[in-house]
Amino acid sequence: MQKPTVTKVLSAVFMVVIAFTALFPLAWMAIAGFKGRDEVLRSPFQFFPDVWRWQNYVEIAQDEAFSKAMVVTFAGAAIFTVCSLLVNSMAAYAFARLDFVGKQFWWVYCIMPMFIPMMAILLTSFVVVVELGMLNTMAVLIIPGVASSFQMFFLRQFYLNYPLAVEEAALVDGASRWKIYTTIFLPQSKAPFVVVGIASFLAYWNSYVWPVLTITDPDLMQIMQLLGTFRSDRGNDWGMLMAGSTLAALPTIVLVLIFQRYIVNGVRIAGMK
Amino acid sequence: MQRTAKHLRSGLTAYLMIAPMVILLGIFVFWPLIYSIYLSMHRISFYKDPAFVGFDFYKYVLTDPNFWDTMLTGLKYALFVVPTGIVIALIVATFLKNLNGRPASIMKTTVYVPTVVSSVVASIIFLFIYQDEGLANWFMGFLGVEAVNWLNSPGLALPAIAVPGVWLGLGISTLILLAAMHDIPANYYEAAALDGASAWQRMRYITLPNLKNVLLYLFVTGFTLAIQEFQLPLIMTNGGPVNATTTPNLFIFRSFRDNTEYATSFSLAASLLLFVALGLISLLIFKLVKSDKALDS
Repeated sequence: MQKPTVTKVLSAVFMVVIAFTALFPLAWMAIAGFKGRDEVLRSPFQFFPDVWRWQNYVEIAQDEAFSKAMVVTFAGAAIFTVCSLLVNSMAAYAFARLDFVGKQFWWVYCIMPMFIPMMAILLTSFVVVVELGMLNTMAVLIIPGVASSFQMFFLRQFYLNYPLAVEEAALVDGASRWKIYTTIFLPQSKAPFVVVGIASFLAYWNSYVWPVLTITDPDLMQIMQLLGTFRSDRGNDWGMLMAGSTLAALPTIVLVLIFQRYIVNGVRIAGMK
Repeated sequence: MQRTAKHLRSGLTAYLMIAPMVILLGIFVFWPLIYSIYLSMHRISFYKDPAFVGFDFYKYVLTDPNFWDTMLTGLKYALFVVPTGIVIALIVATFLKNLNGRPASIMKTTVYVPTVVSSVVASIIFLFIYQDEGLANWFMGFLGVEAVNWLNSPGLALPAIAVPGVWLGLGISTLILLAAMHDIPANYYEAAALDGASAWQRMRYITLPNLKNVLLYLFVTGFTLAIQEFQLPLIMTNGGPVNATTTPNLFIFRSFRDNTEYATSFSLAASLLLFVALGLISLLIFKLVKSDKALDS
């Protein structure tokens, strides 16, 4: 009787320790957002503000540049996610189910970018988008990253495991491959789409270096870019910076909480490959 | 006849379906890559046509002590981040494996949350923690140690940057290890329990050997990613103090913006060298392990 209680208590303690390690930096950021200018880095040190004030959050949310960056980044991330799901799942379906001349070659071609590090092509990609006249447009933020080897590979694994029988029945009925893709495979792709879609959304939302290189127009500023410049411009206003960072991190965290079930399973699928 | 027609049509559909991906990769990955290779072998000047110089820039990179210093920094950073991250992930995953139902799913989501936080936000949080009057120094005072200037002391800045590095990577390694642990047959543990094996013995003789491949995968991918890290030092220290946190990619990234004449070709040669080196090392390790596995069976 004794032992189970001890294990239970130990297990509870351990759970708290793990949750603390994972979440503390975020909590610390959110708490600092409630602190006034004079108390955010005060000595003697204190954990909580004297008075919990929403002022920093309200002020940063009303800051025009900040709210605009949140909206523009969100819109960009949404478009980016839809485009990449379409482009990559189409290719994934073709590689999983169709036979065509040169398939092996195109397969290697589409998978190889997985092994090419971003830094080796960063500068020359910049030159390419300059030549294409894409600087300071939404297109430069969205289009270059849409095709993703990782995403295509992941979706192909999923399609390979999808039962053939349904498709064969449709083929006998005279359905075209295109129709099979749009009416059978797309509707069945919800679970993998959530996993890779979240990955796309996060990649766009969190990107920093690429926007810094390609966007100077204040109307198109991306949220992480804005936070970075905010830090160098008003680096001492920590309460405000923390409130802004909290708001900027919030959409990604909410996304994970909404789709948690899919993400944990997604790691399992990817792990099985 | 009809068969060929149908075959051709299906081939056409396939090409139409892969076309967007193929074209996009061509414009935004392969063309830049070829262009990078081209530039790294040419001397570019504003006034003259590019002149082919072969592997000269690669030689310069390999004989530049600054480049080797940054490699050493990247290596140190990876050694701070990867083993620590894997050991913590292993401990957390071992614990999570024994949970069921709601606590299990809540904990899995909890450990995953840091993964989605951007490097920019993580950098800002830890910059704040490392301020003179910040949390880290409060903790030092709590332990009775004098306050430290974390990001301005050459010896401490790199480990200080490694902390958010570990934090950001923890969730995904934990979930991967957890998934692999669930694949270990339960009867291995049942047999061990009958023999009265201790928790440590179960870890040592059942869990770890069965996780060998996953651990290796995490180690190699973690290592190649860590050595390429540059956003955390870019935002937290900009490579300082005295280049103590200048990782190879930060060095390359900064020389892009350098105005000296051959900086571009030089930094591209450096980035391609790093790419080839890391690729070869991971390939070698995976090959070695594959042959090892073949010997086992």
